Amino acid sequence: MGLRKFLRMVFLVDLVKGLALTFRYQDPREIYTEQYPLQRPQVAERYRGAPRLNVNAETNETLCIACDLCALACPEHLIIVSSERNEKTRRKELTNFTYDLSRCMFCGLCEDACPTDALELTQDFELANYTREGAIWDRQTLEQGPQPTVYKR
Amino acid sequence: MQGIWDSFVGYLDPSVQMTPGEYGDPIWALIYILLVFTGVSIAVMSMNWLERKILAHMQVRLGPMRVGPHGLLQPIADAIKLLIKEDIMPAEADKALFWMAPVVIVITSFAVYTVIPFGPAHAVTDMNIGLLFMLGVSSLSVLGIIMAGWASNSHYPLMGALRSSAQMVSYEVAMGMAVVSAVLMTSMNAAGTGTLSMIGIVQAQEQQQIWFLFKFFPLGLVAFFIFAVAMVAETNRAPFDLPEAESELVAGFHTEYSGFRWSLFFLAEYAAMIAVSSIGVTLWLGGWMRPFPTWHGPAVTLPWFWEKSNVLAHTGAVDLAFALFPALAFFVLAALAARATIRFPKHPLMRIQRIGLAGFGAVLGGIGLLLLVPPVRDRIQDISWFTFKVAAFMYMYIWYRGTFPRYRFDQLMQLGWKFMIPVGVVVLIGTAVVGVIWG
Repeated sequence: MGLRKFLRMVFLVDLVKGLALTFRYQDPREIYTEQYPLQRPQVAERYRGAPRLNVNAETNETLCIACDLCALACPEHLIIVSSERNEKTRRKELTNFTYDLSRCMFCGLCEDACPTDALELTQDFELANYTREGAIWDRQTLEQGPQPTVYKR
Repeated sequence: MQGIWDSFVGYLDPSVQMTPGEYGDPIWALIYILLVFTGVSIAVMSMNWLERKILAHMQVRLGPMRVGPHGLLQPIADAIKLLIKEDIMPAEADKALFWMAPVVIVITSFAVYTVIPFGPAHAVTDMNIGLLFMLGVSSLSVLGIIMAGWASNSHYPLMGALRSSAQMVSYEVAMGMAVVSAVLMTSMNAAGTGTLSMIGIVQAQEQQQIWFLFKFFPLGLVAFFIFAVAMVAETNRAPFDLPEAESELVAGFHTEYSGFRWSLFFLAEYAAMIAVSSIGVTLWLGGWMRPFPTWHGPAVTLPWFWEKSNVLAHTGAVDLAFALFPALAFFVLAALAARATIRFPKHPLMRIQRIGLAGFGAVLGGIGLLLLVPPVRDRIQDISWFTFKVAAFMYMYIWYRGTFPRYRFDQLMQLGWKFMIPVGVVVLIGTAVVGVIWG
């Protein structure tokens, strides 16, 4: 054993280093924990969370043209787009849009496939449900976004 | 009847500077016992909060935040929870022993407080064998631990109890060596006689005008180091918490205990920590003496509202500065509470908690103001310095727990028998030799 190592052992250099480290981390500014319901976490810009069907802000009409591309793009086949042809305008109109979140892996392929930016994976992350059926979102839920319980104490 | 009353009132005379035990008044002794018991219980509760909070901050967590502002009411919530829990006793347990074990541990860890000197006259009593009494009684808690482990009639508690007994018995030897070397230092006076009395040990440091920590450098320091390590092992705290190693033995000797009985173990553990720290403070850190007790500084004329302090022996500038220190400590705490109040989340639901925190800060500031009043200020001097020193030890306990990983059992024994005890013997002999040559 070299002298240096021996002295390190006698004066407990390693232990003191460890103590200094924990002492430094006591600073409250180092705290990483968030107080979740009060403090909302800042998720990353590219975070993919709850899906949303965008509507035209002025006319409140859906942007979805019922082209079914998202359903085709989905590797899990969890999107079902139902539509009917409007006889007057000769265009497909969206009737219902179901999105099974329980099977979704948030790959974002549906979002990429959408030609009108109607389907979008937002940064909402509160997707908890009491039932399995609750994880299957219909058109109304998709347009409104998730409605989690508001924290009051 | 008249005699009892006279003796009761007679103790309040400022000229009576002795412990209730020495004065021989059972009522005052009872009052002191109750005061110490209350103080220790409050200390254990605050220690509970502080430990969770400091440990959490060391691990970059928040710690308790919900029960009261910054979790300040958490110990009370915990206590209520423990007291209203179901009282479970294993069917195959030895009923009498199972019932007695926590009682034995609590009694031993609280009996020690009868001789702890919080000041030259602030102790329940002063025994001429005080130190021996303390070490002897605190070692008895091993008995309680073995009783708990055996009576539970379960594997993990038994193994925890066996580990604990092996550990405590082997570290007691090293601790004894360190303690005896400090006792030897007390005999460095004209008469050449040492003392085991706790008050006498501090008075010896006062006479020799040095804390035993720095006496015969580095012998006092090494002895203190051995004591500081053995102390952690004695109280079964991290990194020597093998008897309650949760990753190996669930909870060690108190695995089968719950509710009120478990809370007795908890109380006893923290009371023992404070008691053992007090031994260390008394033996090496000058007990109730403030730092630099012989340094008085230039004499100062006190303003009229600070005069009439006949309790304080000297009134130099340095004396006064140190006398204001306890109040200052409370003002710092009050300032911290005020800062936390300002920074508290401005959520409408958090309003009650904000008000509570502000009130807590106001109470702390009020205590600080109270400590500025001359009679109070001079009477709590020794107690507050003792408390500060013990608090530093308590912080060290938490700090070790937050830093060091647990020892393996053979490593623990190796450290105890192959390092602590030989070094303890060398320090003891060294102290004796140096004392004979220079004493």
